[in-house]
Amino acid sequence: MQHGTDDTAANRLSRRAFLAAGTAATAGLAGCFGDDGESTPEVISENDVPGSGAPEVENPPDAVYLPTHEAPVRMLETVRAGEYVLLPHFTTQHQFWLMRGNDDQPVLNEPDSPGLHFMFAVWDGETGAMIPVDLGLGMTVRRDGQRVDRRRPWPMISQRMGFHFGDNVPFVESGTYTVEVSVAPIGARKTGGFSGRFEESATTTFTFEFDREIEAQLVGEIEYLDEERWGEPGALEPMGHGGGMDEMDGGMGPGIGLPAPDSYPGTSLGVHTSDGAEFVVRSLSGSRLAGDGDYLFVSPRTPYNRVPLPDMSLSVEGDIGGKLTQTIDSELGHHYGLTADLAAGDTFDIVVESPPQVARHRGYETAFLDMPPVTVEVD
Amino acid sequence: MELPDPDTVPRREYLRGLVAVGGAAALAACLDSVDEGGVPTGDPDERPPSQHAWNDVLDTDEYGNIRSPEHRVLLALDLEGEPDQSDREQVEAAFRSLERAYAHDPEGLLFNVGYAPSYFETVGVEPPIPHPKPITNSENPALDGFDTLVHLASDNPEVVLEAEEALLGEVSEPNGVEMSATLAGVFERGQPRRTGFVGAGLPAQHTEMDAVPESIPEAAPFFMGFKSGFANSQAPERRVTIQDGPYAGGTTTQIESLDLQLRSWFEQDDHFLRVAQLFSPAHAERGMVPGVGDELGNSTDIEQFVDRTAADASEGVVGHAQKAARARDEDGTPPLLRRDFNTVDGDFPGIHFLSHQRTIEDFVRVREAMAGEDLDSGVGQSHNNGILQYIFTNRRGNFLVPPRTKRSLPGL
Repeated sequence: MQHGTDDTAANRLSRRAFLAAGTAATAGLAGCFGDDGESTPEVISENDVPGSGAPEVENPPDAVYLPTHEAPVRMLETVRAGEYVLLPHFTTQHQFWLMRGNDDQPVLNEPDSPGLHFMFAVWDGETGAMIPVDLGLGMTVRRDGQRVDRRRPWPMISQRMGFHFGDNVPFVESGTYTVEVSVAPIGARKTGGFSGRFEESATTTFTFEFDREIEAQLVGEIEYLDEERWGEPGALEPMGHGGGMDEMDGGMGPGIGLPAPDSYPGTSLGVHTSDGAEFVVRSLSGSRLAGDGDYLFVSPRTPYNRVPLPDMSLSVEGDIGGKLTQTIDSELGHHYGLTADLAAGDTFDIVVESPPQVARHRGYETAFLDMPPVTVEVD
Repeated sequence: MELPDPDTVPRREYLRGLVAVGGAAALAACLDSVDEGGVPTGDPDERPPSQHAWNDVLDTDEYGNIRSPEHRVLLALDLEGEPDQSDREQVEAAFRSLERAYAHDPEGLLFNVGYAPSYFETVGVEPPIPHPKPITNSENPALDGFDTLVHLASDNPEVVLEAEEALLGEVSEPNGVEMSATLAGVFERGQPRRTGFVGAGLPAQHTEMDAVPESIPEAAPFFMGFKSGFANSQAPERRVTIQDGPYAGGTTTQIESLDLQLRSWFEQDDHFLRVAQLFSPAHAERGMVPGVGDELGNSTDIEQFVDRTAADASEGVVGHAQKAARARDEDGTPPLLRRDFNTVDGDFPGIHFLSHQRTIEDFVRVREAMAGEDLDSGVGQSHNNGILQYIFTNRRGNFLVPPRTKRSLPGL
């Protein structure tokens, strides 16, 4: 059983996150909130749901864009569930958007009762590698032995936290809550050192001290971007899971981003773009993932922060053809792959049958939706 | 558990609350609230040979869908010792007494008796059904460990309460008819006691619970907001009846007890996604289910969309009914006869998914099809994958329901 909030770590992390986020200017808000010089926007909405009243970008572009603000995040201690390590963390309640298949109109979710946006990052307890696919997480919240909530946090992506599981969870009364989390086996193909691992579901329990004042505190710590930047193409600096992008800085988990395109093995077949997503496409000859044959490696990710885009349905049409299989490899990480003989001069399309079925935080809800095929030529 | 307060809850909900509490006090309160003499008595010789043959006496709606009895109790029983022939006569006398006390119809009492693998092991017989076990790779259910299950069903709440008490020897004259014997001494109450209800409007009466949102449709008979048990999605009774061997004429019962996350279902998803995930994406795209499902008549037409299951998954959403229908017989006959019902046991909305099928393997096949672990792209383990995002499997149990002539301590 793990216990409670690590205040020191939380403070350190939130401070660092704010530094990482760059200058949070409030002067630009004047135009938005009148000229009375008030520098703190009113973010408690009428329905008493903290966080839900923050100003948002009107008519956001059809691209990854900078939101108006970033909310502080509090980390709890990591917990172990079987082979998985989970990092529970939380922030103010957020709007987010749920995907409905290949429909390009995601469903907006607004917070509707007091509580927190509760999140879990999951990584491999052995190698520390991120596991960015739906793991059917289950979360049961109890207080004084009474079950108060039970849900499956949604697989989602955010600019600062990358791929995680999260939801707006009602916490109404201050007190000690017990949270039970269950994780399913990995459903995606597992290769390399991951082959044969993550076959069992696992459950763990931790306690969480909730103080109603935390909501107001978190809201008070919201940092606004310079208003001129609201809605600009770009993304907030990643906060990661305590480790930031750089695993060498003493953080506890993996960063949120995938490796840069040229750090993968094999031959580059280019980095292609479809509705904002960047597809790193490479050819690996003599690959163990293809029975020592040729392997087509495709790694779609967000621009800027290189957040993986899981649970897509991708196929290849053209001089080669077939379905790309979502794969978690111990060395190559998350990607989609296909065994295929590639010859110079081959041309093929990577067809997106469905865009990433992950819920979207603000700034990602207008991209990776209506994704045209990308055309790849082999030199 | 405390009795509900008749002054603060609607009458129908009050009566349902009494069934959930159970016991002598709840029964007394229930009998105080209903008209005396309203429940018909019965004749044991008029009961059909199959304990699960209820359809002939159940009402149908205007579309020909069979209407489930409104109130349910699942009574768990444990053997008190190793039973003998005289115990068998006692048990049979108890069941026949119930059949005299209540008519074989939903105004009276519909019931059947099933036996768990542990029962057969206790009496020294190879169990004719497997022990329950987890079926999907994401669940970790408790497994029913008691010996015998009595499924009690009636449209009258006092009937299921009174029949339960009468079997255990707590009431001597249910519906004014004397019990010539009871189960006491042979069986004692086991755990868990499960209760529930089905009926248009009943789920919406639970919005005082935090986990039941106000947005649940008023007319919905089930918590998920839609009708279920459409005539063409139900196995005929003969499809679930055992054809050969010592239990020919019987069936099997499996129970999967589930929690439901209704706030996400009703308030995070929209109607389109609910229809797409419960039926199929085509049902949503074509607007086939604008309301709670009355528009569908007696058929979900799901068979038209079964072949699209993998393709729909590739496009990001796949339907629950669509996935499950992959396990139908070649001629399209569904293998399960659903007699499931809503529950708020444990003060949380859920379903006791009780079904009859010829073999437990039939159920496992359907449940695996529903889990869709073979659908490896486009949808997540739970996300947009039927209703898996919203259900939590708590318990499983398997039972053999012998034909009526062998319902009392079979295998002795």
